[in-house]
Amino acid sequence: MAGQKIHSAKRKRFITNSVVHVILGILALIWVFPVIWVVLTSFRAEQGSYVSTFFPRSYTLDNYIRLLTDTTILNFPQMFLNTLFIAVFSCILSTFYVLAASYCLSRLRFKMRKPYMNMAMILGLFPGFMSMVAVYFILKALGLSEGNLIKLALILVYSGGAALGFQIAKGFFDTIPMAVDEAAILDGCTRWQIFTKITLPLSKPIVVYTTLTSFMGPWVDFIFAKVICRANSDQYTIAIGLWNMLQKEYIDSWYTCFAAGAVLISIPIAALFLYMQRYYVDGLSGAVKG
Amino acid sequence: MKKRAVAVLLAGVMTLGLSASCLTGCGNDSDSGNAEKVRLMVWSPTADQSKDNGEWLQTCCEAFADQHPEWDITFVYGVMDEASASSQVGQDPDASADVFLYSNDGIAWLTDSKAAAKFGGKYREEIEATNSPELLESLMLGDDLYGVPYTTNTWYMFYDKSVFSEEDVKNLDTMLEKGVVSFPFTNSWYLPAFYVGNGCTLFGDGTDESAGVDFAGQKAVDVTDYLIDLESNPNFRIDQDGSGIAGLRDGSINAMFTGSWDANAIKEILGDNMGVTSLPTFTLNGKEIQMKAYAGSKAVGVNSHSDYMEQAVALAVYLGSAEAQRLHYELLNVIPCNTELLADPEIAADDLVIAQNDTFNYTSILQPFVSQMNNCWTPVENLGKGIRNGSVTHDNAAEQTEAMNEAMNSDGIS
Repeated sequence: MAGQKIHSAKRKRFITNSVVHVILGILALIWVFPVIWVVLTSFRAEQGSYVSTFFPRSYTLDNYIRLLTDTTILNFPQMFLNTLFIAVFSCILSTFYVLAASYCLSRLRFKMRKPYMNMAMILGLFPGFMSMVAVYFILKALGLSEGNLIKLALILVYSGGAALGFQIAKGFFDTIPMAVDEAAILDGCTRWQIFTKITLPLSKPIVVYTTLTSFMGPWVDFIFAKVICRANSDQYTIAIGLWNMLQKEYIDSWYTCFAAGAVLISIPIAALFLYMQRYYVDGLSGAVKG
Repeated sequence: MKKRAVAVLLAGVMTLGLSASCLTGCGNDSDSGNAEKVRLMVWSPTADQSKDNGEWLQTCCEAFADQHPEWDITFVYGVMDEASASSQVGQDPDASADVFLYSNDGIAWLTDSKAAAKFGGKYREEIEATNSPELLESLMLGDDLYGVPYTTNTWYMFYDKSVFSEEDVKNLDTMLEKGVVSFPFTNSWYLPAFYVGNGCTLFGDGTDESAGVDFAGQKAVDVTDYLIDLESNPNFRIDQDGSGIAGLRDGSINAMFTGSWDANAIKEILGDNMGVTSLPTFTLNGKEIQMKAYAGSKAVGVNSHSDYMEQAVALAVYLGSAEAQRLHYELLNVIPCNTELLADPEIAADDLVIAQNDTFNYTSILQPFVSQMNNCWTPVENLGKGIRNGSVTHDNAAEQTEAMNEAMNSDGIS
């Protein structure tokens, strides 16, 4: 009797698991569907933006070749490098800003601490692009709106306000016991040393998270790049380039290249994520005993 | 080691901001005698500057410089498509091009921000001498002329000659009996053609904002009824997201409505069978009604904030001249509008030129550019979508048409 019961409980679990997995499988399929479609389109040999079949009739690499070699109308390689340059430097800068601000707000006690956090909260409620036109005119007044300085201008725009987004990292730092800091101070550490040698190594997941988000922001941004680049086509970022490919003059011949571009821009993000993913697991392991 | 590397990197990033200013290029002006030094910034779409397409802009600018040895001109080229040029120049005239190509629907933007220079004197006479008055009207506010036109901007019909005869393409309903026709039914740049054809008006003659939109009454309801039947015709396909040209490619569609920007792709698909003509009529309650497209123009404008006004105006006139238009036509298939050039037998024989100019002259109205026009796009699009989705039927056609008319006349967000 007892054996049978165990048996039926097992079977019940098997059925529940199967149902759950089938549902999850279907959901996963729906979720990756558009991604697969973009990848397929990027290898499609037939031109044009509209097709009547899901799977392309024939496959080709020409879309990638054209995207990377046909630079007379839309210079994708240059846009890619521009964006990479801007994204890498804004990523480094804003990661530093965010972590430094979070550390200060989590560990130090000073008069402006509360007012600063309130102010950041309120400022954070407004979408960034509300200040777009003002930002443009400030940059122009500083002489940053022409030539290569546009790259600097964009780096400033993307990283300048980063310190307002300290909340998540601060929350993480708050969970690291003060005792660790105190022990370090007793051993003669300065604040900077505590930050770099104690807090950061203990907070790898949040460092990874901050790096990823601060890379993604500039990498995919369209609106600021469009406002600041204006007619300087040599400074265009990929977002503007991809948008141009969808204009009515180009959409028919460039649509499959657009899909190829969309696949290519996902590579740096994926690479960064895969590289940093392993740090997600470490984190607090072995920090404080007891 | 690793940490030091990070520190160095961080320090590097910080100093980079300061040193980046060293990266900017410096102008290399060569002094040539006592010629006046001039710096002109010129904006055009990227295709006009691409090597593959023969660098129309650069060629023209250099030819212009050669004609004027008294000026030592340095050209700075920027990329800006015609549709966004007016808003970009209007947004910040000081930091914009001296000479730019724009489409005329943005003219209100330019004049509101006082960014467009008026053409007058001998230049205006020269422009008037070589362009039709209808065309110039598309670039005038009041009596002031704000650009040198270089092409017209409208849409017309492309069809497969092996399916339709020249007689067939005169009437949309005849065409639907013989082949499959695709029309951008949910696009409000195209759909009003039926209403305008049947006597509906926008802002009086297009310039009188107080006259409002008249898409009301029986004349509009009749068209809505016609459109409902058209949509359900088995030989009719709605053209959206590029389905029209894809249909031409696989042969499931035999005629579509678009403009010169798709001409090369269609030529590739249909080859010698490509037919192109101005808009057909449609049969409404037994009467033949002519469809009427929105038409505009593209023109060379001059920034009123330019430091070198004389040179900028001269360059604009040159870029719109017969010579530059001919090159534009040869390199990029941009349909000329200069009357001298249109008299050229070689150009006059081109079907595409004939179709576009016929459309502009006979089967179109000037697209109004009063600011109220901004309220006229969404309601028409919604009606098209309503018919497609089946929510607009013969039963409620009258009230839906009335609702559209009301929305077009309202100031609210619609």
